[in-house]
Amino acid sequence: MSYELNRKLAAARGPLPTTASIDPVTADIIRGAFETVCFESATYLGRAASSPIINQSNERNAAIVDAHGRLAMGAVGTPHLTFVNQMETRWGLMNQDRYDWGPGDVFLANDPDHGGGHLPDYCVYGPVYDEAGELICIQTLQAHQGDTGGKDPGGFSLDATDVFTEGVIYPCLKLVHRGELRRDVFDTVVRNNRFATFAGDIAAMIGGVQYAVRMLDELIARWGSGVIKAAINQSIEHTEKRVREEVARWPDGSYEATVFIDHDTAGTKDVKVHVTCTIAGDQLTVDLTGTDDRPELVGVWNTFANTRSYVMCQVVAAMDPTIVKNEGYFNAIEIVVPEGCIAQPPPNKPAALGSFHPACEITEAVCIALSNVAPERSQPQLYKIGMPNMVVGFDDNGMMWMDQGVDCRSMDVSAVEGLDGWGSCPSALGSLILSEAEDAESRFPILNISREMTTDGGGAGQWRGAPGSLNVKQVLKPTSAMAWMVSAEHPLRGMCGGDDAIPYTNHFEVGSDNERKIAHTAQDLLPQGAVIAYQHGGGGGFGLPLLRDPEAVKEDVLDEYVSVAAARAKYGVVLTGSLDDYTLGVDHAATEALRAEMSGLAEAAE
Amino acid sequence: MTYRVGIDIGGTFTDFALLKGDEVILHKNLSTPEDRSLGVMEGLGKLAEKEGLPLGQFLNRCDAIVHGTTVADNTLIEMNGALTGLITTEGFRDEIEYRRGFKEDIWDVRLAPPRQITPRRRRLTVPERVLHDGTVHVELDEDALREACRKLRLQNVEAVAISFLFSFVNPEHERRAKEIVRQEIQNAYVCASHEVLPRAPEYDRTSTTIVNAYVGPRVTGYLEKLVQRLVEGGYANQLMVMQASGGVMTKEYIDGAPIRVLASGPAGGVIGSAHCGAAKGCPNLLCVDMGGTSYDMSLVVDGQAPAEAGWNMHHRYLVGVPMVKVETLGAGGGSIVHVNAGALEVGPRSAGSEPGPICYGRGGKEPTVTDALVMLGILSTDEGFAGGSFTLSRQGVAEAFQRLADEMGHGDAEQAAFDTWRVVNANMSQGVRRTTAGKGIDPKDLVMLAYGGNGPAFAAIQAEDLGISRVLVPKASPTFSALGTLVADPTIDEERSYIASAAALDAGRIRELWTQLSERARRYFTDAGFDAQAIRVNYQLNMRYPGQNFSLSFPFEAGVPLGDLSFIAEDFGPRAIALFNERHMAEYGHIREHEIPEISGVRLVAHVETPGPRAAGGFTPSGAVPTADRHRRANLGEGFGEVPVYLGGDLTPGMEVASPAIIEETFTTIVVYPRWKAQVDDAGDYQLLRS
Repeated sequence: MSYELNRKLAAARGPLPTTASIDPVTADIIRGAFETVCFESATYLGRAASSPIINQSNERNAAIVDAHGRLAMGAVGTPHLTFVNQMETRWGLMNQDRYDWGPGDVFLANDPDHGGGHLPDYCVYGPVYDEAGELICIQTLQAHQGDTGGKDPGGFSLDATDVFTEGVIYPCLKLVHRGELRRDVFDTVVRNNRFATFAGDIAAMIGGVQYAVRMLDELIARWGSGVIKAAINQSIEHTEKRVREEVARWPDGSYEATVFIDHDTAGTKDVKVHVTCTIAGDQLTVDLTGTDDRPELVGVWNTFANTRSYVMCQVVAAMDPTIVKNEGYFNAIEIVVPEGCIAQPPPNKPAALGSFHPACEITEAVCIALSNVAPERSQPQLYKIGMPNMVVGFDDNGMMWMDQGVDCRSMDVSAVEGLDGWGSCPSALGSLILSEAEDAESRFPILNISREMTTDGGGAGQWRGAPGSLNVKQVLKPTSAMAWMVSAEHPLRGMCGGDDAIPYTNHFEVGSDNERKIAHTAQDLLPQGAVIAYQHGGGGGFGLPLLRDPEAVKEDVLDEYVSVAAARAKYGVVLTGSLDDYTLGVDHAATEALRAEMSGLAEAAE
Repeated sequence: MTYRVGIDIGGTFTDFALLKGDEVILHKNLSTPEDRSLGVMEGLGKLAEKEGLPLGQFLNRCDAIVHGTTVADNTLIEMNGALTGLITTEGFRDEIEYRRGFKEDIWDVRLAPPRQITPRRRRLTVPERVLHDGTVHVELDEDALREACRKLRLQNVEAVAISFLFSFVNPEHERRAKEIVRQEIQNAYVCASHEVLPRAPEYDRTSTTIVNAYVGPRVTGYLEKLVQRLVEGGYANQLMVMQASGGVMTKEYIDGAPIRVLASGPAGGVIGSAHCGAAKGCPNLLCVDMGGTSYDMSLVVDGQAPAEAGWNMHHRYLVGVPMVKVETLGAGGGSIVHVNAGALEVGPRSAGSEPGPICYGRGGKEPTVTDALVMLGILSTDEGFAGGSFTLSRQGVAEAFQRLADEMGHGDAEQAAFDTWRVVNANMSQGVRRTTAGKGIDPKDLVMLAYGGNGPAFAAIQAEDLGISRVLVPKASPTFSALGTLVADPTIDEERSYIASAAALDAGRIRELWTQLSERARRYFTDAGFDAQAIRVNYQLNMRYPGQNFSLSFPFEAGVPLGDLSFIAEDFGPRAIALFNERHMAEYGHIREHEIPEISGVRLVAHVETPGPRAAGGFTPSGAVPTADRHRRANLGEGFGEVPVYLGGDLTPGMEVASPAIIEETFTTIVVYPRWKAQVDDAGDYQLLRS
């Protein structure tokens, strides 16, 4: 629990010792088998869990870590969880004797200061041994929990000054000893959670790990542990080689980016993330030096492991998607995070909200820097929403219900070179399945009024960002609602000349005398019938809007992604005919003239 | 003598299975893509000829003609369906574009969006709102609806999908809207979501309805033409059509929601497998169908191929109607083998049938799985192979695999072909494990049933990989889907949403919903000429623990006469909870002791049993020793050696073939891998056994 520990946890690990040799085809067959184990483990959890955030939004991840603590093969799940789990299992690995590790054990970890992300991301893992009793690998399963037993339901405390406020912390807790559930421990973990569904979820996580461990036992028995170890080594080496090949194709140089968060949860303005991506031959270095380190900041501290993960999420997006996601990425890329900055906080800082911001600004800054070298893959893999409006009530039994924040519709889907933003989220979040109005309204006293895309809600560009949606809902009973607003003053940035996304805005009690804009934070009791309206920011554009094909602009106007006025003002496209009867056409001569005039003005302004 | 005919139209061939008494006669002819009904009539003519009857008399003697069609699938693959508009509740215009956030590849930021069936300009909203309990919160604004119709008319839409929130609870607004749309947009195909998929949630229902509108006119148009030709030809009964749920039903019923025929082809194959397995005493099957472009896997459990109505993504659209679950891998005979960054990969690109694999000699340049089998000596390049239609060639094959070996920097051409075989096996095994494990099934408890042209070449080795010790390879396997349509029962499988805690169930409401479903089924069955007394029903519940997204379906009462709801008694709630917990335990291995589950819907599966062909099982050794036709240098997984090659035509029931061996059948090649043996059973079908 120190910077020194962080350095130890992050230190590079060598290959597993083995005398077995392996050909590339066999290695790939074993990698496929490992991925199938992860797939099944994640599927098991997704189907058996009860919390919507796991089984509807799929916010979970299965991965295999080797005996040296390296991410062994490809993982299956949410990218933002994929690159964290090896750090928290390393703490357990370094203390195997202390915690009496053995076959059949299952552990729980969520400690931000011992290699974890924020508290709600529970990592359940089980070590796998060969017949001779040698530890070969560890099956991990992570899932975001709806509550962590802290001061506030959900685990997100806007005013938290330390991690203890946020909930119960487990550095490495044994849930199952040699195959036997530790009932006392299990019950204690369950007791420290507000959700009735939690016991089922944690049981499903244990079951998913045990299921996967059995499959790994079979694979080890079948191939022999030497061959398995050789396959893991080969997979990691292969990834490192491919990553370095990608980097070597990029032009050498240093590319900087600065991104600001509007404010922390206490109102301190303009929290800064600074990234320098340096490419020298086949070496990429991502350096966060220059990132904010004001000790008085509140709520914007991202754990060290999470910072590494959010850097990596963007780096993998910039590369060939077929490269296997494993430790080879960390071996190939150097990540520099100054101690004490918001990306590597001092011990015991609160961690929950940091997983949103600055985590996503780190990703955004890496994206902006890499857009210089990989423009066709420079879509930020993030969520600029401060926090979805958390609408919370209690049922007749005193148990909490929450209309999930995962009802966000369209947000933050930026364009890349050659492709408009589409769908409702960046690619990396595409396995998080959104909840639906009919399910939510059948359970909770709320009414969804509108959730449509906002015309002109996407950043203009040669390729256009997807418009953000306006979510309007009404609470039918008195209900508490919590919000944290950012990305209004500093919305998601456009890339390579594309326009920024529109700002996020949020209003409570819309249409009443009490209507108010939430500019910073809110933790309010809403009266029955109150309407809340959340405008999501949409995606940033890519490239200069004046370069967009005028016919594409016309099509956008027909689809009401873009207004006639914005077609002219943003894109310099003059349209004829009428939208109302679908007779729009492009006046090419007038468009050319307008665009010449606009680019002349732009040049003059520079 | 009366007949029943099963017909399945594939991309290349139209397959026929004729049932007379116990006997099944198979036939195949080329499909006629420009007007598929022509190929059907041609094949029926051939069958009549075989029976020595004029077509009219033959058709007149047909009790039933049962048909599986890929028209809906082809429409979605080619994206050439009707120009479709959507009318939906104000505020919910974009749900279909959000796709609940789903993206097929979370790692690829360059993944292109699916082509929109209803682009935003053709998605129009009207003020109206029904609440979850069915009460009307906002009345339907008919003027706004007429204005929406004007806009769709201006855009020349050919089909309109109507999907309002909670229409499955209270469909009045959708009904009224449908009337108005019909008035306002003459000649358009109009469908409402409560008719197509009356359940929550809105994305699933809307997507299904939109796809229904998109394929509907093509499907109904095609079926009408076919019916017309059949009637003109002398057929006097109803045309029965295969559904993705694995049952068949009348054209009239299909017309209500043509989307039910989507993905019915593979379902037919699974139903055929279930029938065949049952006859041979194998109720639990892993069915694998390896054709030219794909490898399809499905499960038969207790003789049943359960239809699931969950998250079925088809051609990038969610289709929520019940479907027999078939998982597909892009690994068929035509799948292209290539090296990606040093790793050998198979598929998903396919050489198809044109130009096809290199060994087809039709200009294919890229090595495929079939080419690897030629390299390994598993497939013959002798004259007259595969029924004599054409001869495979080794020309250019070795060179292509040498290029792969060079690119990998590993081995030679034969090694690259062998590596291809290994990778295909591994991909298939992992695909199977992903299919079985989600169901809590261990593959080694199953019998494999292999069909499709390329399935039997890999079957035994893959079975070994999965711990399976018995593989069935029916002789009829090349026309299995047609056989499936023939043995499938007429079935109606429908559900209705009803969300409530199991602790506070309104048994009256459930009775009412099941009665509605029963009456619908009664009407369609009796209209089709079935005796209502013969209908047997599974009354099912869909339940889940609060918060779970996926409901489990289970029969509350099975095999009862239609409309007999006497089983709804006072203990309904507790019994439902007990049955659900039992089902949850079987599926996931645990239950939630302290949680009360909720019901999410009721379901009815009504069917009428129909006569099917009798398929024999059993193996009586004849003592006759088969003679190899010739020997060939081949690698069956353990290095090259001289392997005996048998001709299927020389093998008779009761014979046994020891390993290693290759058996060449019409349209397929069966490999007897080391440690396996092949037997010809009493029905003339093959079974492979691990010795």
